[in-house]
Amino acid sequence: MHNTAVKKTNSFALRLNRTFVYIVCVFLALLSIMPFWIMFVNATRSTPEIQSGISLLPSGHLMRNLEVLVGKSFDPITGFINSFTVSAGTTICAIYFSSLTAYALVVYNWRFRQPFFTFIVLIMLIPAQASAVGFYQFMYKIGWTNSFLPLILPAIASPAIVFFMRQYLLGALHYEIVESARVDGSGEFATFNRIILPIMAPALATQSIFVFVGSWNNLFMPLILLTQKEKYTLPIMVNLLRGDIYKTEYGSIYLGLSLTALPLFVIYFLLSRYIIEGVALGSVKE
Amino acid sequence: MKRTLALITAIIMLASLLAACGGGKKENNAGSGSNGGNTSTTTNSGGSSGGSGGSGEKITINLWSFTDEIPKMTEKYLELNPDLNVEFNSTIISTTDNAYQPALDQALAAGGKDAPDIYAAEAAFVLKYTQGDMSDFAAGYADLGITEDMVKEAGIAEYTIDIGTKDGELKALGYQATGGAFIYRRSIAQDVFGTDDPNAIKNEIGPGWDKFFEAAEKLKQKGYAIVSGDGDIWHSIENSSDKGWIVDGKLYIDPKREEFIDLSKRLKDNGYHNDTQDWTEAWYADMRGEGPKPVFGFFGPAWLINYVIGQHAPDTAGDWAVTEPPVGFFWGGTWVLANKEVLKDEAKKQVVADFIRWVTVDTSDNGLQYLWANGLMNENGTKDTVASSVVMAKSNGELDFLGGQNMFDVFVPANQFASGKNLTQYDQSINDIWRAQVREYTAGNKSRDQAIADFKNQVRDELGIDSE
Amino acid sequence: MRRRSISYSRYGFLFCLPFILAFLVFSLYPILYTAFIGFTDLKGVATKEFHVLDDPFENFKNLLFDNDLFRNSLLNTAIIWIINFIPQLGIALLLTAWFTNRRLKIRGQGGFKILFYMPNMITAGTIAVLFSSLFAYPMGPVNSLYQMLGWSDEPINFLLDKWTARGIVSFIQYWMWYGHTMLILIAGVMGINPTLYEAAEIDGANGWQQFTKITLPSLRTIMLYILITSMIGGLQMFDIPLLFQNGGPDNATYTASMFIYAQAFKGQYLYNRAAAASMILFVIAAVLSAILFYLLRDRDAARLKREERRIRKAAAKGGVMNA
Repeated sequence: MHNTAVKKTNSFALRLNRTFVYIVCVFLALLSIMPFWIMFVNATRSTPEIQSGISLLPSGHLMRNLEVLVGKSFDPITGFINSFTVSAGTTICAIYFSSLTAYALVVYNWRFRQPFFTFIVLIMLIPAQASAVGFYQFMYKIGWTNSFLPLILPAIASPAIVFFMRQYLLGALHYEIVESARVDGSGEFATFNRIILPIMAPALATQSIFVFVGSWNNLFMPLILLTQKEKYTLPIMVNLLRGDIYKTEYGSIYLGLSLTALPLFVIYFLLSRYIIEGVALGSVKE
Repeated sequence: MKRTLALITAIIMLASLLAACGGGKKENNAGSGSNGGNTSTTTNSGGSSGGSGGSGEKITINLWSFTDEIPKMTEKYLELNPDLNVEFNSTIISTTDNAYQPALDQALAAGGKDAPDIYAAEAAFVLKYTQGDMSDFAAGYADLGITEDMVKEAGIAEYTIDIGTKDGELKALGYQATGGAFIYRRSIAQDVFGTDDPNAIKNEIGPGWDKFFEAAEKLKQKGYAIVSGDGDIWHSIENSSDKGWIVDGKLYIDPKREEFIDLSKRLKDNGYHNDTQDWTEAWYADMRGEGPKPVFGFFGPAWLINYVIGQHAPDTAGDWAVTEPPVGFFWGGTWVLANKEVLKDEAKKQVVADFIRWVTVDTSDNGLQYLWANGLMNENGTKDTVASSVVMAKSNGELDFLGGQNMFDVFVPANQFASGKNLTQYDQSINDIWRAQVREYTAGNKSRDQAIADFKNQVRDELGIDSE
Repeated sequence: MRRRSISYSRYGFLFCLPFILAFLVFSLYPILYTAFIGFTDLKGVATKEFHVLDDPFENFKNLLFDNDLFRNSLLNTAIIWIINFIPQLGIALLLTAWFTNRRLKIRGQGGFKILFYMPNMITAGTIAVLFSSLFAYPMGPVNSLYQMLGWSDEPINFLLDKWTARGIVSFIQYWMWYGHTMLILIAGVMGINPTLYEAAEIDGANGWQQFTKITLPSLRTIMLYILITSMIGGLQMFDIPLLFQNGGPDNATYTASMFIYAQAFKGQYLYNRAAAASMILFVIAAVLSAILFYLLRDRDAARLKREERRIRKAAAKGGVMNA
C-alpha cells in the first residue's frame, strides 16, 4: 500500500518533470531553428520586403536574388570548392594528427610523455590573437599568401583536439588490442591506421563536425591571406556582398549566406548519427 | 644535445620543404587562374610599342578596388579597345570591417607579381596612399605620361588634384566629383514652403545653420523631419571644416566639427529628425518616407541620388529635387593610383598608363568620364558628376528621378566648396569614434565635456594619436 | 627485453613529431616573434627596420598604466564572458542531467541534440546582423513589440544601452555554444562507469543525488576542458561584437581582441603595441588557467593516475613477455 502510493506520486512527479523538460527543449529547439528559418525565408524575399521587417513566410524573389548574386561576381562553385578544400584539409590534418598524438600519449610509455601532455594542456591556453601578428608577418615573408597551406597546416597542432582524443582513448582503447596486433606482426604505424582509427570513429566524427564548422565559417585569416579572387572562400564572398556601400542587396546577401550554410547542413546531417549516439570520454577505466 | 640539433635540423628541413611546396602550389594556381597564359613578368616590349601589340603575350594587370565600379570600367575599356591583349585581374575587398586597407597595404608591401598594379582609394583613406604612410608605393602620374597640361586641359576639380598630390608630385586622380547638395522631396516642399523651386528652397534652408534650423521648425509644425539622422548633417560639416582631425601630428578638433555635437543635440532635442544612423535600414526607410515622420531631405553628392536613394526608394521617382546646401561640402569619391613597380615593366606601364589616362583625363566622347556622366556605361546607366569640368560642360544631367531637373546645375558649382585640405589618413577611424561619442551625448548618457574627453582618450588609446 | 620496450617508446615521440613540428613552425615561432615585436618600435605597414626600444617595456607600461581603452576592453571581455558562460554551463549541465537521467527517458533526444548544436553552424556575421536588425531603432521588430504591448510609447534605442548591448552579445555567445558544451558534457557522462549508477540506484539515490554525487565529480577533467576552451574562446571574442555594434555603444562591447586588431590594422599599424597587448592577454590566460587547475585539482584523480600507471606498466611487461 505504502509502496504503491510512493510510486504513484513518483510517477506523477516524473510526468510533471518530463513535461517541463519537453517544454524547455522545444523552446530551445525553436530558438535554434528560428535564425536559420529567417535566413532561408529572407533569401526568397526582396530587399524592401526584408527592410520592412521580419517574416516567417517565404516570398517569391528567389530567382531575382540569385541573379543579383551571380551578377556580383559571387561564384558559388569556386567558393564552394575553395571552402571545401580548406575545411576538409583542416579537418583531416587536425583529426588525423591529433589522434596520432593522442595515441602516442596513451599507448606508449616514452620518456617525455607526461611533460609533453602538460605542455599540450599549456599551449591550449594560447589565444590565437597572441600569435596573429607574428603569424601574419611570417606568412608574408615566406610568400604564402594566396595559398591554402597557411590555413590548413597549422591545424596539425590542435592541442584541444589532442586533449579530447586522449580522453576518448583512455576509455575506449583496450591495451590488449594493441598487443594482439603486435603478435600478428603489424607495424606500429599500421596498427594505428588499421585498428585504432576505426575504434576512434565516433570521436573522429564528432570532432570532425566541430573542426569543419569552425573552419568553414572562418573569415578573419582567409580574408587577410587570400587576395586573389580565384582563392576566395564562401564567407569572403558573402562579406564582399555586404561591402557594396551604395546599396545593400539584403535578399542576395541572405541567399549567399544560405548557400554558404547548405553544404554545412549536408555534412552535419550525414555525421549526425554520431552526435545522436554520442561518444564516451572516459577518464576512469574499468 | 645531439638530439636537439637533429630536431632543429629536421624542423628547418621541413620548413623549407613546406615553403618550397607552398610556393610551387601558388605558381600552379596562378597559372591556371589566368586562362593558362604565362603570368611571369618577362616583358614583351620589344616589338610592339604602346603596349597594344596583339601578337605578344597577354599582359595581366592586377587591379585592387573596394567596389566593382572600376572592375566594371575595365570591361568597358576592353570593349573599346578590342585588339588589346590585356587581362585585368580584379581583387575586390569591401571597406566594411576595415578589411580593404590592411590587405592592400600588405599586398603593396609584399610586392612580387601578385602585387596590385592599379589600386583605388576612397576619400576616407586616400590620403594615406597619396601623402601618408603608403605614398611611397604610388607612381607619379608624370612618369605614366599624364602631364600637368593634360590635367589642366581636362579642367579637373582642384580638390581632386590637391588630394592626389604629394610635394608637388601628382600621384592620384579621381573620376567623380563629389560636391554635395541638399536633395529634397518636392511634395513636402510644396506643403510647407508653398513651392518646390530649387532657387526658393535654397533660401529657405540656408545659407548657414541658423536658417536651416528655422526651416526645421517650420517642417516640424507640419509633422515633417528635416533630415533622417545626424549622419546627414555630419558629412556636410566634416568636409566644410577648415582643418582636418590632425594638425602637426596631434588630434585637433576644428570648431566647425566641434559644433556638430551641439547641432546634433539640437536636432535630437527638438525632434527635427528621426534619429536614424546612416547606412542602416531605418535610414533607407526614410528615403521611402516610411519612417515615423516623413523626411524632407538628405545631404549628398550625385551618387547618393543614383546609387542610394534611387535604388532604395524607386517609387519616389520624380518627387525629388536638388538645391544648394546651407553649407558647401563634398562627400566621398574614388581615386586611382598606380604601383611604382609598373614603371619597371614597359609593356605593363603602357597599359596602366593608358587605362588611367582614359579614366582620369580623357575628355572625349569615348572617355570614361563622358560615358560616366551621361549614363552610357551600360544600358540602364546612371548619371553622375565627374571630375573634368570640360566633360561636365558638354554633359546633360537631366534626371527623371528629379522631375526633369538638370542636377549638374547644382552639383557643378558645389564642387568649389570641396577642399582637399581637411582630410587625414585616419579619417575613417576617427570619424567612427567621434560620431559614437556625439551619439552618447545626444542620447543623454554623458555630458558634453565628458564626450569630448572620451573621444580624445579613445583616439589616443586606439590610434596612438595624442591631443594637443 | 629492455631494448624492445625502448623501441616501442620511440614511437611515442615519433607519432608526436608532426604535432611538435607544426607547433614550432606555426605557433611557437609566430608567438616568439610577436613577443619580440612587443619590445620594439615596429609600427607602420611598410616598416622594414625596427629596433628594441630603449625602455623595452615601454609598450607594456603604456598599455597597463596609460591606456583606458585597453583596460576597458579587458573588463568588457570578462563581463561578457561571465554573463555568457554561467548560463551556458548551467543549461548545458541541466540538459545533460535530463538527457542522461535513466528514469526520465526523454524521447527525441537525438533530434534535440542535433538542433541544439545547430546555432554553432551559422556564421557569426549572420547572427550579429540579424540581432542588430531585431533591435533596430527607431523601427524594428522588438520596438514594434514593445509598442504593441504598451510597454513604451516612444521607440527605444536599445542598442545605446551598455548593458543591453553586452547582454545581447553574451546571449549570442551563449546561444551559439551551449549545444557544443552539452555534447561534450554528455560525452563525459557516457564515459562514467555505469556500475557506479547501478550501485547508487540500489542504494536508493534519486536522480539529483546521482547527478551531484557521481556525475559532477566524475566530470572534473571534462569541466576543466570546457572551462579552459571556453575561456580561451572568450578571450578571442571578436567577430560578434565587431559586426554587431562595432564595439559600441560607448565601447561597452569593445573586447580585447578587437583592441589588438585595431592596434595592428587600423590607423597607425602599431604592431608593437598590438604584440604587447597579445602577450598581456596570454599572461592573463595562463594565470586564470593556473587558478582553474588549482581549483579543480582532484586528489582522487591523482591517486587514480598513479594506479593507472602501475597497471599500464604491468600490462607493458606482460606484452613484452608475450612477445
